[in-house]
Amino acid sequence: MLHPAPLLVADRVAKTYVGGGRAHAVIGEVSFSLRAGEIVSIVGPSGCGKTTLLNLLCGVLPLSAGSVVWRGLPLDGMPERVGYMLQKDLLLPWRTAVGNVKLGLELKRLSRAQCEERAHDMLRKVGLTAFHKYYPAALSGGMRQRVALARTLVTDPEVLLLDEPFAALDFQTKLLLEGDMARLVRSEGRSLLMITHDVEEAVSLSDRVVVLSHRPANIRAVHEIVLDADRGDMMDLRQSPRFVEYVRTIWSQLEARSSDG
Amino acid sequence: MADRSGATLWRVERRTLLVAACQVLLLVVLVVGWEIATGRAALNAFLFGSPSAIWGHLVQMVRDGSLFRDGLVTGGETLLGFGLGNLIGTVLGLALWYSRFVSRLVQPFVVAIGSIPIVALAPIVIIWFGTGLASKVAMSTLSVVVVALVIAYKGALSVDEDQINLMRTLGATKWQIFRRIVIPSSLGDIFAGLKLTIGFALIGAIVGEFMSSSEGLGHAIFKAGSLYIISKVFAALVATIVLALLLTFIVGKVERLLMPWRRFD
Repeated sequence: MLHPAPLLVADRVAKTYVGGGRAHAVIGEVSFSLRAGEIVSIVGPSGCGKTTLLNLLCGVLPLSAGSVVWRGLPLDGMPERVGYMLQKDLLLPWRTAVGNVKLGLELKRLSRAQCEERAHDMLRKVGLTAFHKYYPAALSGGMRQRVALARTLVTDPEVLLLDEPFAALDFQTKLLLEGDMARLVRSEGRSLLMITHDVEEAVSLSDRVVVLSHRPANIRAVHEIVLDADRGDMMDLRQSPRFVEYVRTIWSQLEARSSDG
Repeated sequence: MADRSGATLWRVERRTLLVAACQVLLLVVLVVGWEIATGRAALNAFLFGSPSAIWGHLVQMVRDGSLFRDGLVTGGETLLGFGLGNLIGTVLGLALWYSRFVSRLVQPFVVAIGSIPIVALAPIVIIWFGTGLASKVAMSTLSVVVVALVIAYKGALSVDEDQINLMRTLGATKWQIFRRIVIPSSLGDIFAGLKLTIGFALIGAIVGEFMSSSEGLGHAIFKAGSLYIISKVFAALVATIVLALLLTFIVGKVERLLMPWRRFD
């Protein structure tokens, strides 16, 4: 089979909040799937309910309608082997860099030596070996997000769910981190579902880009991204004519959203 | 660049020095003014005491060892009440995080108990705990416990919701979230509470000594006041202030020792 069974299927997922005697639809109806080894981005304007969608997929919030199926099984609590990373690094200020990376391993009750070894190994992969003893307050924003990435990857998740992970970083740091993350995800055959409002980020990293409309969020378009350039080189990618074309198309679809809203 | 930051540093330091110098000056003016006023009988020395007489009493209290003894008694009561009150209050306050139901259940009772002036409980406390050490420690504990409880609970509630969700996606149990996130992130609030409650604990101990006692700084103040030795009242008050400063200093030191990550802030 060319396409293995999807890791994650979201089928007509909807979320409605009730407040002030009225129902507010945040997610209208969203369906898509994520296959093993794929990188999929969901783009949409700020406030369209992207974060809500991510929280629905990983069981943090209950669904109002529709279904979420992980590896053929309906969602029940937290799915297994899923890593979660946000714009906020959420590092614990009282733990050093290596201590933060170890967190997920400790929760799984691995031996102390194993925790140490795997945490140091992962810090090396994100290029922070020299900083393992630093507290988060002494690290730069980019370094902190690298530690957060290491913390996410160290538990060996099959799927990463990322919510605007690089939005708070400067352009150069962002490109470096995007490149490193793409390399780490692809080389180890992981899947990635990323939510972002940065169209260039979505196109440069993804195999597929899902464009959401404004609130209540519905799917406006889905783009399969095929680029000839080296997918690991974030700067080179941006020079490719097809890249520019994708970005322009998706932008216009986001623009259309704001005019009909 | 280095020059400029050096100059800025010097400017900041000069400001600090200036403030400190003015504080000392203010104190000196007050004390000297007080001394002169009572010396020229503009102020009745019998009613208001005088700095020189206060000093005399302090020296005498140091010589006969009563200052040290009373300070130790009051300090001991304060620390015991402070420790007990914070331990009980913090444990209960953090435990309330565990159950929304229980926390909502007890909330009005906590508010009610918290609004009772502790002084009003003193007669009952003396009856229940006797006139010895236990009643002072109880008064001190009661002064601390509700404040500590509320602070710890507020601290536990202020944990970032995203942080808890992250822990849940990592597969953490409720107990693991409590132990690894809720307790450490509440420490900042709890320590701020310690600095506040050390003062309350001291007040509780002194009020307890006022009601019935045979030793301690509160006893010294009460006895000197009953005998109209106003300067001795002030002397014991000065000793109490020094004790309060000393206790606050110790709490601050312990805080820095227990939360090393705070040094970068």
